[in-house]
Amino acid sequence: MMSFSALYSKLRKKNIGQYTLLSCCCFFSVMLITSYIFMMRSPTILDVLPEGGDSRKQVMMIFVLAVIGCAVFTTYAAGLFFRQKSKETGVFLALGASKKQLKSELWKELSIISIISCGLGAILGIPLAYIIWSIFRLFIVDTEEMALNFDINSYSYIIIFSIYVIFMLFIMGYKSIMKTNIIDIIKQTHSAEPVHSVPKWFGLVGIILLILGGFCGYIAPSIFILGLHWYPPEGLTAIFYIPALIGLYMILLHTVSNGWNKRKKYKDIISVSMMKFQGRQTVRNMLVMTLLIAGAYFGSFYTPMLGTGAIMSFDDRPIDYAYHFRADQNIPKKDEVFKLADKYNVKITSWADVPMARLGVDGEMSVEKETSLGTTWESVYYNLLQSQIFLSKSSYEALTGEDININSGEIAGIMDTSGDGQGVFGGDVTLVTNTITGESWSFKPIEHLCNDILFGRYVVSDEDYQKIITGLPLDWQERMVFFNVENDEQTYDFAKALFNEIVDHSGKEVAVYDSFDPILKQVHEELYGYYFLDEQEPPNYDNRNSSDFRMYWQYMPQFRVLDKADFIKTTAVFLMLFIFISIICFVAVIVIAFTRCITIAISNKKVYDDLRHLGASNNYLNNCARSQVKKVFLVPIITGTSLIYIFYSMIMFFNDNRLTFYEIAGLLVCLVLIAIISFVLYLIYRLTLRKVLNILKI
Amino acid sequence: MLTVKNLHKSYKVGKTKYEVLKGVSLEVNKGEFIAVMGSSGSGKTTLLNCISCYIPSDDGSILLGDIELAKLDEKSLSKIRNEKLGFVFQDFLLLDGLTVRENILLPAIIGGKINNQIEIRAEQLCDIFGIKSIQNKYPADISGGEKQRTAVARAIINNPLLILADEPTGNLDSKSSRAVISSFEQAKKSLGATILMVTHDSFAASFCDKVIVLKDGTVWRTLEKGTMNRLDFQDHLLSAISDMGKE
Ligand SMILES: Nc1ncnc2c1ncn2[C@@H]1O[C@H](COP(=O)(O)OP(=O)(O)OP(=O)(O)O)[C@@H](O)[C@H]1O
Ligand SMILES: [Mg+2]
Repeated sequence: MMSFSALYSKLRKKNIGQYTLLSCCCFFSVMLITSYIFMMRSPTILDVLPEGGDSRKQVMMIFVLAVIGCAVFTTYAAGLFFRQKSKETGVFLALGASKKQLKSELWKELSIISIISCGLGAILGIPLAYIIWSIFRLFIVDTEEMALNFDINSYSYIIIFSIYVIFMLFIMGYKSIMKTNIIDIIKQTHSAEPVHSVPKWFGLVGIILLILGGFCGYIAPSIFILGLHWYPPEGLTAIFYIPALIGLYMILLHTVSNGWNKRKKYKDIISVSMMKFQGRQTVRNMLVMTLLIAGAYFGSFYTPMLGTGAIMSFDDRPIDYAYHFRADQNIPKKDEVFKLADKYNVKITSWADVPMARLGVDGEMSVEKETSLGTTWESVYYNLLQSQIFLSKSSYEALTGEDININSGEIAGIMDTSGDGQGVFGGDVTLVTNTITGESWSFKPIEHLCNDILFGRYVVSDEDYQKIITGLPLDWQERMVFFNVENDEQTYDFAKALFNEIVDHSGKEVAVYDSFDPILKQVHEELYGYYFLDEQEPPNYDNRNSSDFRMYWQYMPQFRVLDKADFIKTTAVFLMLFIFISIICFVAVIVIAFTRCITIAISNKKVYDDLRHLGASNNYLNNCARSQVKKVFLVPIITGTSLIYIFYSMIMFFNDNRLTFYEIAGLLVCLVLIAIISFVLYLIYRLTLRKVLNILKI
Repeated sequence: MLTVKNLHKSYKVGKTKYEVLKGVSLEVNKGEFIAVMGSSGSGKTTLLNCISCYIPSDDGSILLGDIELAKLDEKSLSKIRNEKLGFVFQDFLLLDGLTVRENILLPAIIGGKINNQIEIRAEQLCDIFGIKSIQNKYPADISGGEKQRTAVARAIINNPLLILADEPTGNLDSKSSRAVISSFEQAKKSLGATILMVTHDSFAASFCDKVIVLKDGTVWRTLEKGTMNRLDFQDHLLSAISDMGKE
């Protein structure tokens, strides 16, 4: 004698594979999210990524991507689960089971699944984070800042994610039994959603739309801002990417139902027609996979892109040690620095120390205006717009050892060698003002000079320099120091000590951001009533080891050995987080592709048996199966990978209308990364194929 | 017993609407054994699905006794399905995870009425349909005809008052067909059950009291057996069907 519950649990045992798959997916996503949150919220990492900083925002953004990835694949697994269950549900309903009866059984098992998988995931996520972190310390970087501490508050985030998973399960479960059409419920397991005949031109139009959409989406904001002088509201520009999405969908649709190669049409007729039968579901999955692949790579590219360029630019720096300070600050001078160097057994091989001055300059600024359209802007010329730092010709020569030619009345701006800084460069200066005496002089801009450390400053002839700085108080003057040492690579401790000395001797008045400008501040205050930098916390000397402080403090010294070490450390944290995200996205892709292939294999098993009875050779069947798995697996991966690579190169190109040397190097490193990941994905493809062939007994 | 009035049903596929039932009306008295015939695609399955409310109909009414089925709430409808209706699906719909015997007992298990008596009845049904030797096998391992007989046994285990059978003899040899039809006749005699059976087979239909022929979404003709003997009635059916083909 059997009760309904006993019967239900017998069926559960029979279908244990489906339950395992669902539980594993929930478990896996909660575990990944848990370890990510613990890592992200650990005080160690929060130190490196301070509150409100750009880097914290980026990490948050990637976190959102990870959450979306995890949510997608658990939702997908749940969808598959209820789909496989729907025949049972439908038969129960048809034979007169009440929905209440079914609900109570379903609730029971869903509660067990969700509690066990979410609970285990939340518990095991911590050791996972710890293990990954330790491996990381072992192989990549190990400094005292890298010890991992955990913050127990992180659990609130995990609970939120778990609640999503549980809700999703229950809502999908509820929906699966609440339909009124019982025949629909029964048929769901095998329901085919054929793609209705897709016109041949879909492929081509899809490609055009994709290219057009990617391009429009990318340049739309600049068209609005530069062309129409209008700041579109946030999010509006995302609309311009929609054609790209539609194009992608059309391409996948065309690939699934028509295929690209006309001549092979009859050879592939079986696999193509079987794919058609799987229809929309498959195409939708492929679209999600393509987007996840693109997201995963977008995350993975960030570090190599940033890293390659930066590491190379450190090596290209013309000088080992450079620092500058406001002339009224009591910063270590030549003899103190030499004493310190002695203490650390560092030999200083060259020394240059020159004055610089801050003067007002003219320029154009885009002035924002509120109109009925939103915010628009127009370009306005100001006689006195901002301030720049000036050097005399002989100072420049003393620092760089170059011989340059500047006549009286001429002015030369200094660019960086790679050209990366073009967007930040202040532009040509024709009018210079001594803000204290109020006196102004006209200058004629000549060809730019090139120096990475002095980038953004201006050089005038010695007579002009003397003329324009007359009467300037000390707080409008600066000094710049360049020196080289022997065995630069081994001077980390000295560099750190000197850096601490400099920070310790800097007063509150120079705790300002890199872009802080006293004259621009006045202009802004007159125009808008406030200065944007005044609204932010100024750099804090207590955070001197955070990446934000080191990136944005105006008087940050440039010591190659220190910068390199710091860079590796902060990049390592980023790398860590990005690797994590990529893992999550790739896992999502693999889960989707794998389950999809297995589903297709199971539902087409009969077709393969029939073909075998009709005399198809194993070889032929093998080819059919291979071509199907290939489509589900490889098409989205190849599309996603190539799209994101092209898109990324496009961004790199259009940010300054050319590819700099560092950008090319970075893109090459990304290519290596793609090769490695593609290899792993290929192995998984082989594995899936073997499993599919097993199911089909080929 | 069962009154169907002006039943309409259409399917939407994409943007096009296919009208399948365009005003079907029929009247079935208690204890009648009725066959529904009609060419493939004429809407026979759709009609049965509408009567059992498995799919919602667009228009018209379905009265079981004096109960309007479409207006019932979910709970009473499932009670009726479990206790008063027996349904044989065209594609059987056995659960793969349950043995033949468990599949047969399923309606009783769902209704929570499982007891010795019911188990004995299941035993008897297996006997009648010649599936006793496979009763512990799983549906994946039995033949199409065996599946069909299992589905019929499942439909009548609860002694339903109305049996809706969609081609219950479609896959069977004449001996098994006879077993199915006799069990329906048995249900009719001992319980006063009413049976509505879809069939393509004029042999099976000739056992019925009345044959309803569907065409173009309406009832084309109703043929009464009256006092005819079975063989005459079968001839009568065959000539009527060939008439339909000529029109
Ligand atoms: N779910 C559905 N969606 C769309 N059209 C359907 C659906 N089910 C049935 N049809 C269409 O409705 C018509 C009637 O189908 P139905 O299954 O009722 O025919 P039938 O008389 O039972 O045929 P057969 O004797 O072959 O079983 C057919 O033309 C069929 O194509
Ligand atoms: Mg039918």
